[in-house]
Amino acid sequence: MARSYLFIPANEPRMLQNAYVFDADAIILDLEDSVAIEEKHEARHLAKNFLQSHPRGSAQTYVRINAQKDWLEKDLILLKDTKFDGIVLPKLTLEMWALYERKAKALAFDKPVIGIVETPDAFFELDQLASKKKILGLILGGEDLVSSLQSERTLEGRELIYGRSMLKMACAKHEILAIDTPWTTLDIAHLQKDLQHSLTHGFDGKCAIHPNQVPSINETLSPTKARINFALRVMKQFEATKSMRFSLDGQMIDKPVLERAKATLEKAKFYGLLKEELHGHL
Amino acid sequence: MDIYEDLESLLDALPLKDGLRISFHHHLRDGDGVINPVLFALKKRGVKDIHLYASSIFPNYKAVQDLIESGHIKNITTNYLNGPVAKYISEHGLKGTLKMQSHGGRARAFKEKENTVDIAFIAAPAINRDGAISGCEGKNAFGSIGYACEDAAYATLKVAITDNLMPIKYPQIKKGLINHLLHVDSIGDVTRMASGTLMITKDPVGLKIARTTMAFLDTVKAIKNDVSFQSGAGGTSLSITKMFNDYLKAHHLQASFYSGGITKLHVDALENGLVRDLYDVQCFDLIAVKSLMKNTHHHFMSANDYANPNTPGRIIRNLDIVILGASEIDLNFNVNVTTDSNNRLIGGSGGHSDTAEDAKLTIIVSPLIRARTVLIKDRVNTCTTKGMYVDVLVTERGIAINPRRKDLLKAVEGSTLDVLSIEKLQKKAYTLTGVPSHSDHKKTPIGMVEDRHGHVQDTLYKKE
Repeated sequence: MARSYLFIPANEPRMLQNAYVFDADAIILDLEDSVAIEEKHEARHLAKNFLQSHPRGSAQTYVRINAQKDWLEKDLILLKDTKFDGIVLPKLTLEMWALYERKAKALAFDKPVIGIVETPDAFFELDQLASKKKILGLILGGEDLVSSLQSERTLEGRELIYGRSMLKMACAKHEILAIDTPWTTLDIAHLQKDLQHSLTHGFDGKCAIHPNQVPSINETLSPTKARINFALRVMKQFEATKSMRFSLDGQMIDKPVLERAKATLEKAKFYGLLKEELHGHL
Repeated sequence: MDIYEDLESLLDALPLKDGLRISFHHHLRDGDGVINPVLFALKKRGVKDIHLYASSIFPNYKAVQDLIESGHIKNITTNYLNGPVAKYISEHGLKGTLKMQSHGGRARAFKEKENTVDIAFIAAPAINRDGAISGCEGKNAFGSIGYACEDAAYATLKVAITDNLMPIKYPQIKKGLINHLLHVDSIGDVTRMASGTLMITKDPVGLKIARTTMAFLDTVKAIKNDVSFQSGAGGTSLSITKMFNDYLKAHHLQASFYSGGITKLHVDALENGLVRDLYDVQCFDLIAVKSLMKNTHHHFMSANDYANPNTPGRIIRNLDIVILGASEIDLNFNVNVTTDSNNRLIGGSGGHSDTAEDAKLTIIVSPLIRARTVLIKDRVNTCTTKGMYVDVLVTERGIAINPRRKDLLKAVEGSTLDVLSIEKLQKKAYTLTGVPSHSDHKKTPIGMVEDRHGHVQDTLYKKE
């Protein structure tokens, strides 16, 4: 579980040095789009060195590898004996998955994978992709997708309504993480507007392309105090009545509401938003 | 008051001699147009072994280096210096000595006749025929003239240099003090007063430090109604000022005063009712200048009223919180903002040691690691501010509290703040950078740091 997934270009030592200081729940060392072709080799070695020697912070650590066949293999070879939480696989389709699995198997590489869904093809394969055992979650790659659709990203986000809904639907069906596309300008007010789309569609997390985006993402995707308080009261009433159906403030509480309350409290606990004395309600 | 229309006529009337002691203020900062022509003219007249008492020295003050190199300037007493002059002195020293004072210490030293100045040259944005000076009026109005007040009061001769001889509405230096007036076309370019350092930071590390500082202040419940607050002019400090304003607004609180150098952010807080009064020793931008002129709750103050340790009613005596920077801090919380680790002069106390000593809560904010260099040293290269006056260090990788502040250590118990001892914070940095090797490069003394009470606090050495 993570609210913010911060991309860190693997060819930038200063960014690597500070990778864990920005309070991102997860960092993604990037070997793909943010690294120029002539710097791929250096970036791989910097990433390997970082994973081997940099003291680990509390954030989960992923590596986005390249989709291009030769580079993908080189990335995996260099990452083979390093410790991190999983691979981020770009341009995920069934064909890409087959390629990845073949290469990973040959190298006995067995990390969980978060796939980036960023082509029209992938949307017609979503159900199958989300069902893969090793796939931990899916990221919506909004920029590439709208380019394929000859559309443009807007603050209103209408161009991504279908993509966001479909991706979330598949993730929900297979109980994996749904992670929203990054907002690609550094205007925080615009990011906050875009985050409302993430919230509306029920995304678990959102990617960040700049450290200054992380606080807004963490704040928006955390359960609000009001939701936490309501969830606490629901669970308290449930413990008192032992009934799956009761009334609270005139609202009927039944199983779906109870489950949402439980999920809210689990999330709040995970992100350290619950005071110690309240943990007993979980 | 005698009025002159050209510099040479003025200099003809002044008792120039070798070993002359002269002073300047720095309110126009890099836009100053007074110090260079006066110094070059003194050089032309062959005045040697000048002792320069400039409140600060900025990169634009080219004549200072020229006169040091030619031997016309022998000694310098100042509160802050950077740019080429700082570089030159670091590498070559002076014919005499460099003395670094604080803003409050300079005011005290003038008042107590330790800084004895023969002629004070005062850039005056507007002056009337009685010699009353306003910093807020005229085409080069820079706002508060706080750092020139003691020069005007205690120098043997006072020379005002102005581009506006006119009736004034807001006198800051009272009439009757000025002996000579030089009327010139321009005293500089006030638009160059605000420098790039006066911007809210967009640097993610700086912003992380700012957020952490606010979380600390919230946790220890330091922000209450009537709180008083001061921060420096660095990007991170200004970000904290912005967040401090936001905090007051969100919690429906009002601060009693903000003090020190004043910017648009301080003015915004005043105009939005987040703070009752501003005490302004120096305006950092033109919005602050306008506000000082029109808002009756925006007060001018002299350096003496601001920070002289022997002035009982000094403003910072009532200061609750001050946010300051550091180029180095050591395991005893001593702070260096005067040199880097290689003896290169990079600044000076300004109001750093004054506010740290007087404020109830002194917080140092700085990146723990800058380009593989660790902030926390076993011992600072130069002690600008003593560790006994520093309460907290906030970095992007954790917070260290001075062990003598047991109240703060208790207040953060059980919080989610990443608080650790300064020794552990240093070790945390070393895990990323390695432990630096120690080299002793303190060989040739070039000057001293004087504390605000007039005692020698540390020695400055040449960059080898």
